Amino acid sequence: MVLDPQLIWNGLVVGSIIAVSALGLTLIFGILNFINIAYGDYMAVGAYVAWAVNSQVGLPLGVAIIIGVLTMSVGAVVLDKIVFQHFRTRSPITLLIVSIGVAFFLRNLLRAIWGSSGHFYDLPMEANPSFLGIRFSVEQVAIMAVSLLLLLGVYLMLQRTRVGIAMRAASDDRMLSRIRGVDTEKLVLYVWIVGGAIAGMGGIMLGLDAQIRPNMGFTALIPIFAAVILGGIGDPKGAVAGGYSIGVIQEMSVAIIPSEYKFGVGLLVLIVGLFTRPDGLFGEATR
Amino acid sequence: MALVDLLLVVGIIAGVYSLLAIGMNMHWGDTGLLNFAHAAFFAVGAYTSAILTTPVTATGALAERTVGFDFPIVVGILAAIALAGLAGVLIAITSVRLEGDYLAMVTLSSAELIRLIIHNEAWLTTGAQTLKNIPRPLSGSLPIGYDLFYFLFVWAIVGACYLLFTRLAHSPFGRVLHAIRENDDVPLALGKRVNVFKLKSFGIGAAVAGLAGALWAHYVYAISSIMFLPSITFLIWAAVIIGGAGSYAGAIVGATLVVFLRQITRFIPGDVPFGDQLAYIRLMVVGVVLIVVLYYRPEGLLGDAERLNAGSSE
Repeated sequence: MVLDPQLIWNGLVVGSIIAVSALGLTLIFGILNFINIAYGDYMAVGAYVAWAVNSQVGLPLGVAIIIGVLTMSVGAVVLDKIVFQHFRTRSPITLLIVSIGVAFFLRNLLRAIWGSSGHFYDLPMEANPSFLGIRFSVEQVAIMAVSLLLLLGVYLMLQRTRVGIAMRAASDDRMLSRIRGVDTEKLVLYVWIVGGAIAGMGGIMLGLDAQIRPNMGFTALIPIFAAVILGGIGDPKGAVAGGYSIGVIQEMSVAIIPSEYKFGVGLLVLIVGLFTRPDGLFGEATR
Repeated sequence: MALVDLLLVVGIIAGVYSLLAIGMNMHWGDTGLLNFAHAAFFAVGAYTSAILTTPVTATGALAERTVGFDFPIVVGILAAIALAGLAGVLIAITSVRLEGDYLAMVTLSSAELIRLIIHNEAWLTTGAQTLKNIPRPLSGSLPIGYDLFYFLFVWAIVGACYLLFTRLAHSPFGRVLHAIRENDDVPLALGKRVNVFKLKSFGIGAAVAGLAGALWAHYVYAISSIMFLPSITFLIWAAVIIGGAGSYAGAIVGATLVVFLRQITRFIPGDVPFGDQLAYIRLMVVGVVLIVVLYYRPEGLLGDAERLNAGSSE
């Protein structure tokens, strides 16, 4: 059966993770105007720190998650000060290659500290309840709830706060917003704080759903890229819509094609999207 | 192992990576195309040659591969070049019209799809298991040590490719590629079919990567899909950027440097502090070197400062 509610539910969970992660990536892109290949590794760092604080230090998982998110939020700012800041005037392609260097560094730092084998969050084992014929786990419900809260929070920030409105303005037209008195260098700081925190949270959600590995974020990048492009690069609403669409389409494709190839669906959506709607779902890509 | 033997092994790897870097330099250095699918072309070359030169029975008992031939190695290598080139053209057809970093994302995703196919289609590639017993050319009939022979063989091919590609870069064809890199509206206005040139560039660069794949497969005699992760693509990018984009000599120097950085720990005794982490630390070093070179010497070690404008005209 093609419209299996279980597959739709799974798709929504996966879609939540992609949507949250894509939102962070697209926000960073909107202000800094380059594709950050290291973003997947930011996610992995968030997941690892939360895991280590929980399993190795022994703090409760909730506290560990907050520490993981904050670490990556601060970490993104630190990496900007050490690395990206010095390349601000260079071409977007140079920055993309710089981010490859950062990705190499972070991924292998994780391997050097915690090894390359997989880890799991220490979650209580419970029987998965089922509702209307759909089996769902506690983690999945948590992922859905947290992602919805996070998306709502970022939406309110972008619509209601001065920083958020300035972010949207600068993302739309950097020069014009500077003429209107927006301090874009300060915005860069805010966007790393917010984007880094979202990356960390995305990584933790990914770790809750599957397992924590050094290359977990990198391998998740492809559906995230697909969501960002589908939504129109730099368009937050589009990235979220793109993330949920790709999650649902990818999981539902299992009914038709072998499940090993479900990641190929993201690529297919990406290519079709690029040729039919090069400016994104809502036509609001910033480039 | 004596130091000379180790150096030969590292030298062979450096030669294979140099070929990959030469292909990448055709794409990025000469044409300004952001190709992130290089690992896939490498894989297509390696698997093509391996499948064509190993009979089905040569695989392990667990393998369910039903396709295999016993062709001479030279057929395998030529087919590897052709098929990798074809894969390059096919990926390029879907994406060559895309701008800069869009192309990067689509090629990266396409490469992962190719790796996924190799990983899952066991009837063709033995899937997740290693494809074993790939024959070594002229094995057992040489008066000199095998690694020495293969080292000379690989570097002779690197030398030939270097001469071929530097000539190509200075030919009328190469000049059109350079014009595309600087600003593709200009060659278009002069009546050049820019997209056809980009397809050719993609095909030729991918073909060299396929050749590298075949040489790799016939040296290591066992390959598996995890050898062709996207990190290979990124290492080759680091090599081309460190060496200097646009310079084939730079590509070779950069690749050799990156390989030596990765393999350097083989020369260090195992009982140094952080011995276990060294494998990862050396990759962290590659990342740092890449960033430092981009900062202090954006044109790379042997690159041409003039070509830095590539891709900035949008």
